[in-house]
Amino acid sequence: MSEAAVALSPDAVAEQVKREVDRALKRNIKGLDFLTAGRQEVGAMEKDLVHREGTAMLYRYRPVVDEIYRIPLLIVSPPTNKGYIFDLAPGQSFVEFLLQRGYDVFLLDWAPPRRDEAHLGISDYVDRFIPDSLARIADITGEADVTLAGYCMGGTLATIHAALHAGNGIRNLILFATPVDFTSMKLFQAWSDKRHFDVDMVVEKLGVIPPELMLGAFDLARPANRAAGRMHLWTNMWNDEFVKSYRMFDRWAAETLPVPGEYFREQIKYLMWDNALCHNRLEVGGRVADLSKITVPILSIVAEHDHIVSREAAQPLMTMTGATDREEIFTKGGHVSLVAGPSALRRLWPLIDAWLGKRSV
Amino acid sequence: MTEKPFDPVAAWQDMVQKWEHEINTWSNKMTESEQFSAVMGQATKVSLVAQRAFAEQMEGLLRSMNLPSKAQVDALAERLDAIEDSIDRLRLAIEAQNAGTSGSSTATPANTPAPRRTRKPPQEKA
Repeated sequence: MSEAAVALSPDAVAEQVKREVDRALKRNIKGLDFLTAGRQEVGAMEKDLVHREGTAMLYRYRPVVDEIYRIPLLIVSPPTNKGYIFDLAPGQSFVEFLLQRGYDVFLLDWAPPRRDEAHLGISDYVDRFIPDSLARIADITGEADVTLAGYCMGGTLATIHAALHAGNGIRNLILFATPVDFTSMKLFQAWSDKRHFDVDMVVEKLGVIPPELMLGAFDLARPANRAAGRMHLWTNMWNDEFVKSYRMFDRWAAETLPVPGEYFREQIKYLMWDNALCHNRLEVGGRVADLSKITVPILSIVAEHDHIVSREAAQPLMTMTGATDREEIFTKGGHVSLVAGPSALRRLWPLIDAWLGKRSV
Repeated sequence: MTEKPFDPVAAWQDMVQKWEHEINTWSNKMTESEQFSAVMGQATKVSLVAQRAFAEQMEGLLRSMNLPSKAQVDALAERLDAIEDSIDRLRLAIEAQNAGTSGSSTATPANTPAPRRTRKPPQEKA
């Protein structure tokens, strides 16, 4: 027994025992609720679907203030994930934060691709879905300029688009955990090692790539996370807020999306194996995506404990782009907490607002 | 000197965190080897072949029981997705047409005035 425990007064011990018994009871009662509960509701803010093209779905969130910034903001979600991560719940929603601060927010979200969309490649995303969304936003808002934001591979697609369509209405770029130098994606490099990973065979056999194939790689990166998460959940089962948050993130992770086979193949061959974007030799639709052509202001946000996209992987945004106005925020937290964590609401998002506000008039 | 009282739950959480960290660190080291890449590549191949064989066998079994196979359910789901996609597009086209005749934006709910796009950041206002 520790000295500290010996030093406790009998009253303090009684109080602690009472608290632990109370929590143990709540754990059992709420644990039963947890097991029998349906899917956790997600989404805090009202939105309207304003454009649809197969897997691509463009939403506009309804403004909540009377006066908004002139320049709208388009967030590109990664094709592997549902976009509600930006709008989990009141008080834990990046979109809610932005709307309250006066931004006109659009989200390019993805439906699971159908088999007849297995042929969609990177060019469909950067030369069709993003430009079509921008055109629709211009149509709705009457504004030709837009701030383009992206998270993870959504950020990579936004970067490729900006490199290919420089001077075409992109006013600012905000990139969350965006990989550009794919040699720094250590785990994915090992998983998709050219010498052993037959991507053509995988695409040929599957057509549309199921999420399980990629989830396996994530689990390998952090094999203890799932079990430890369950243990933390059980310990905190008495805490309604913790359980609600756990269930929202759990649902989001479980709803990882499949991706079109061609997109997967190009991602592996051009980005993972050839690191073509980082070497300014990624060809899309007959044109080369040259990072030095991006001259608009860039805000790159990376997390200290991101085990998927390291700071090095996003570094070319700060060193290879042609922008003179570029800034990096290196913050505490992990890959997901950048866009959905409660601490981001207090620390990170106000910094983004301060950066973006003056560039949105 | 005041010491923190012993909290068994905090100690347990601390232990879980340390265990999680150690396992993850070990896994990171393991995944750096080429041997790991070779095993993963092989495992992906084997699992795809096994999945295909299992799916074919299962399909035959379900057909004999007069039950729909996974492929048929998937095809049905895809058709529903395609229908949903078409309905969305039709709805958007009708809304755009209506907006054209009434002059309002399709993304603004009826009877809601569009917000002014004149906002300035706080310091500029001051």
